[in-house]
Amino acid sequence: MEQNLQYFLIPFLSWEMMMLIWVGVFAGIWVGAIPGLSVTMAASLLISFTFSWDLNSALALICGVFVGGVYGGSITAILLNIPGAPAAIATGIEGYPLAQRGEAGKAIGLCTTVSVFASFVGILALSVAAPVIANFSLKFSPRDFFLLAVMGILLIGSIGGGDPIKGITAGAIGVLLSMVGMDPSTGELRYTFGNIYLMAGISFVTAMIGLFGVSEALTQFRNAGKKSPKQNLDRIIPSWTTFLKYLPLSIRSSLLGVFIGALPGTGGDVAALLAYDQAKRTVRHPSRPFGTGAYEGIVAPETANKGAIGGAFIPMLTLGIPGDAVTAIIIGALYIHGLKPGPMLMIETPHLFWMIVSCLSIASVALMVLGLVSVKPFAKIIEIPKEIIMPVVIILSVIGTYAIQNSVVDIFYMIGFGIIGYFLRLYGYATGPMVLGLILGPMLDANYRRAMQGAENQILPFLEGFVTNPISLFLTLSIVFLIVSQTSFYRRWRGLE
Amino acid sequence: MVKNMGLQAEGAGGEPSGTVKELSKYVPEARRKPGELGIAAITFLLGALGYYFALDMTSGEYSSPSVFPKLASIVIMACSAFNFFKAVRREKPEASLTLTGYLLPMDVVVVLVLLVAYCFILPRLHFVASSYAFMVIGMVYLQRGKNIIRALLISAVSLAVLVAVFRYLFLVILP
Repeated sequence: MEQNLQYFLIPFLSWEMMMLIWVGVFAGIWVGAIPGLSVTMAASLLISFTFSWDLNSALALICGVFVGGVYGGSITAILLNIPGAPAAIATGIEGYPLAQRGEAGKAIGLCTTVSVFASFVGILALSVAAPVIANFSLKFSPRDFFLLAVMGILLIGSIGGGDPIKGITAGAIGVLLSMVGMDPSTGELRYTFGNIYLMAGISFVTAMIGLFGVSEALTQFRNAGKKSPKQNLDRIIPSWTTFLKYLPLSIRSSLLGVFIGALPGTGGDVAALLAYDQAKRTVRHPSRPFGTGAYEGIVAPETANKGAIGGAFIPMLTLGIPGDAVTAIIIGALYIHGLKPGPMLMIETPHLFWMIVSCLSIASVALMVLGLVSVKPFAKIIEIPKEIIMPVVIILSVIGTYAIQNSVVDIFYMIGFGIIGYFLRLYGYATGPMVLGLILGPMLDANYRRAMQGAENQILPFLEGFVTNPISLFLTLSIVFLIVSQTSFYRRWRGLE
Repeated sequence: MVKNMGLQAEGAGGEPSGTVKELSKYVPEARRKPGELGIAAITFLLGALGYYFALDMTSGEYSSPSVFPKLASIVIMACSAFNFFKAVRREKPEASLTLTGYLLPMDVVVVLVLLVAYCFILPRLHFVASSYAFMVIGMVYLQRGKNIIRALLISAVSLAVLVAVFRYLFLVILP
């Protein structure tokens, strides 16, 4: 125990590590805010610098970038309705209406505070319950991941806005588009029409930048000349009472984030959407109706995607399985530095585990300071006339899209998606469900087929699994509850209507 | 997000944009928008084409590669048919609203033309020159020809910052 504490204190006693964490958080916030320049990309770029460094310094920088980058993605979602990363899609649903009301500063302030709280929940789970959570997450079968994806798809009802049938239409189009490319299990080409560019599939990040970034810019140009809302920046740090008011929701959503983050293959994006939906269903008296700027709709996804940071480290450090893309990169870095993440890592190199916990803790404190300091300059962005800011947003979208795989073709796709998104939005078809379909389509397809193959292509054994396996049964019942809870009967009974 | 998208879309149809209205409950509009039937028909066609091309994929088992493409296509067709008939039952669009006027106001047309032109000149002139031209022309047009010097300066400074940060600090390759 005493030795663990010593390991934990290493980064606190090294000014170099301390500085690198702060630099990482700062860089992460600004890179994460740019659509397309994801935290994964920032981590992979930075990691290439750190190959010649010693491991401690490399880990310090990467942890800082991870924490800062996940936070940065939410800033542009709130200010411009353009999420910096898929994990911030849910934040924009409530954040952008708040910015339109002139409350961007308050929204980002609350987002920062609850984000730091959730980071600590994730770190606590990582340091206390890592082996237990990791072993439990290994019990998830393809059928359970399929059910998890079905739960995600049901969120279309929450993020679909206006007309639910139009939301489902957009979601199904997203799923159909996600099928484009080479089928990962059989190698069969689907909807490629002999085009080499379609073989790799359609990147959902490219689609996201187009559907949110470019279509938002085009929609804004319909109202060119209209003044941007003046932002109230008098009180950006939420009061203690406000923080306590949202504490139960923050705890619930952070724990959900930890768990989803710990599942291999799912990350902050799924966690944030599930948490937003959960908040929408369970909060009886939101600060405003959901969809019009409810602060609860910022707290839930933000705490979930920050909780998922600690969660993602759990299977990586205990089992050697990455929880998400960034931890997959970190595993690569550990191998380069001669370490083997897995069950023996905590036994052979416990200092590494406690140092990561420590680096993430310092990064969370740095996020609090740097996040709150950045609120005013960020909030000022929204006051820039849209005739000036929107052309710059389009150029940023181009940089972000090109950076994904250095392909001009991706820029064409992105602009194409932007134009499609613009037309769809005019007719009330939400673009959020389309991105959701693109993200969850491959997860649905691959896990359904694996589960079906496991049942030897027989319907009855496949269906039996949903009730005989405890995890599947729990998830199936959760899905039934999600559907029932959307009915007006249930909402009246719970006093939500 | 999607909710305020609806808000903006309606703002275009006459309601002031930027005001936040109650959106927690969906209230269908009495009149359909110009081209609403067309978009439902297009999405139906997309579903039909999706299903048609999925017929070429391996099928025959419950775990075949064609299962989800077919399922997604059927959902698109069913929902599009529903959207179409729901739109038919609503009143016709206001006579003053034309399809092109609703879909493509002049500012949007100009920006779209600029975007397409930008895409084509980007591989030839590369990032700095084509992006500078796009920003300057876009800003000058959207400010109705006013503040040309300001647009030139803002574009130059923004581009310099973007190149410095992304190209030299983060080592991102620019188009």
